[in-house]
Amino acid sequence: MSLTIVSLLPSLQNTNGDAENAAVLAARARWAGLDARVVAVESAADLPERVDAVVLGSGSDASLDRSRAALLGMHHELRRWGTEGVPILAVGTGWELLGWGIELADGGTIEGLGLVAGRAVPRDGRVAGDLVVNASGGLGLLVGFENHARDYVGAEGSPIGRVQAGSGNGRGSGQEGVRMGDVLGTHLHGPVLAKNPRLADAILARMCERAGLDYVPGERTAVVDGYAEAARAAQLRAAGVAASATA
Amino acid sequence: MKYAPAILVGRLTRIAARLRKPGGGSAVPGLVVNTIAPGYLRTTLSGFPQGLVVVSGSSGKSTTTKMLVSILRAHGERVFTNPSTANISQGLTSALLEQADWRGRVPGDVAVLEMDEGHGARVMEGVDARVVTLTNVMVDQIDRFHDSEMVAGMLGRIAARAHGAVVVNADDGYLARLAADVADGVEVRRFGVSAEVLATAPRGLGHTETTPERLDRGDGIVVASVDGASAVLADGATDVAVGLPARGIHYAVDAAAAYATASAVLGERFDAELAARALSSIPAVFGRGERVTVRGQEVDFVLVQNPASYQLNVDSIPSGTEQVLFAIGSDVRDPSYFWPTDASSLGRVAVVSGSKADEAALMLAYDGVEIDRVEHDLGRALDDFLAAPPPTAGVKTIVFSADAMRRTRAHLGLTGAE
Repeated sequence: MSLTIVSLLPSLQNTNGDAENAAVLAARARWAGLDARVVAVESAADLPERVDAVVLGSGSDASLDRSRAALLGMHHELRRWGTEGVPILAVGTGWELLGWGIELADGGTIEGLGLVAGRAVPRDGRVAGDLVVNASGGLGLLVGFENHARDYVGAEGSPIGRVQAGSGNGRGSGQEGVRMGDVLGTHLHGPVLAKNPRLADAILARMCERAGLDYVPGERTAVVDGYAEAARAAQLRAAGVAASATA
Repeated sequence: MKYAPAILVGRLTRIAARLRKPGGGSAVPGLVVNTIAPGYLRTTLSGFPQGLVVVSGSSGKSTTTKMLVSILRAHGERVFTNPSTANISQGLTSALLEQADWRGRVPGDVAVLEMDEGHGARVMEGVDARVVTLTNVMVDQIDRFHDSEMVAGMLGRIAARAHGAVVVNADDGYLARLAADVADGVEVRRFGVSAEVLATAPRGLGHTETTPERLDRGDGIVVASVDGASAVLADGATDVAVGLPARGIHYAVDAAAAYATASAVLGERFDAELAARALSSIPAVFGRGERVTVRGQEVDFVLVQNPASYQLNVDSIPSGTEQVLFAIGSDVRDPSYFWPTDASSLGRVAVVSGSKADEAALMLAYDGVEIDRVEHDLGRALDDFLAAPPPTAGVKTIVFSADAMRRTRAHLGLTGAE
């Protein structure tokens, strides 16, 4: 039994290294003694038979139309994964495309796939910097970076958590992300799963539960998570957040 | 005469800055002159008899500028150029002040300027360039530019200032489109690599978008082959052998860019043999694959500035290199964009250091690299690394970001050309 992690549209949606979260899940699974592979999926033709988790990163605005078209070609699978409890991590514009749609600064709109609630709306200027989120559901503090020119509205009833530092969904919500079942959308870009081992392990635990496997983090995981802990502590200090401020 | 008072004030500011920080260059005099004489930079840049040449792009602009200046000087041109650290407006004005007479006039036939891709568009407002050379568009400094479209847009605005020629990297998809849009009467010249050279770079050259077709011999300056620190440039029917400042395809591409630009600037006076000799005489660039003896040990220095140079430079470290120090400094604000790179070929790193040591260790660990030690204090990391017995295989290798490079040089008391 091998775990299959799909990296969706890595050629269009990997601006900040978000697609590498698929490799993070695979590495942690292997350190736990499990078989795992990452499959890059650019269109429905690349889809493997079994899918245990999906990672969709962020892209540039210029590729929004192309990415939307590619995702539409897999709308049936996306809906099925969302309903069946296959963990999906969507970052930045990848997340926005899974929502209701995107309002662009020039007045145009791009329709989303409606997998999760809410839509992206223009914000006054780009925000780039540290983002710290007090996540509900035992995930603790999520630490990372954000870089986006849009806010997100309509997820007020289903956010990932409260913003401790940074902007997040904006519009005065004080919230970040959207979480509906096992589908997560977030502005936290880059290696968010490497930087937030609890979130990574929650996803892995869910994958293994569905696959009938036991997930026990390996020895190597503890060593690597030590680097993550130190990097988190440094970033929390820089962002002025006390590490003890957990949910 | 118009600028004499501002120049005087700028000079006095420079003296004051030098007193405060002996030996150091400063952007403050430029800031002062730009404030009291806002037209000075524009007027002076437009005043060189042979015109202004601008080099910009995501990476390689520093090396390309140095190579171009060297070729032009070999042809007897008097060249004004800026140090690579002074590529935004205050720094540029400060650099001009270094050379200016009391009226603000700067001697030279031609100015060759390395221009920051972010600030260049603004510096170039109202300034006409004879030739603009664009090296590439890479995903670089993500918190600054967000995406490649933005970088390409800024380079497009710089290119729009060219009235003579635009010289572009034909392998770069963004620049190829940009070249299709230049104004009537502006010549387009190209440089690029051959299919054979591209085939030796299994991960590509790091462009955000690589064009599907290679440049035909005769349609521009083609890097025909690269062998370590030497390369052959194909210029029409002529093969020109050149030495490079360090091993690596990207240096050969920089040489092709400089060669193509010099040819555009000099026209009939361009001499391929002189150009080859000038290119081959460029000294090794610090931190760019240079081997230095430090504290009685041979050390290779490898600078990583963006994901593309990171991948190329890490790939060029011979496999089996036993002792690597890896230092990422505060210049890398958000290391996320480095994550798509793969450093697994390093296998093992002796010390990870720099102010972003933990972020770097995390990334290396997920590439499957074993880390012996994380030492936040770069000085201590360097001392211990150099004090350890020499490796049985390979040469001690220090990989660093620009900020960690500066700190390393200061700590080891290394000076030299930058």
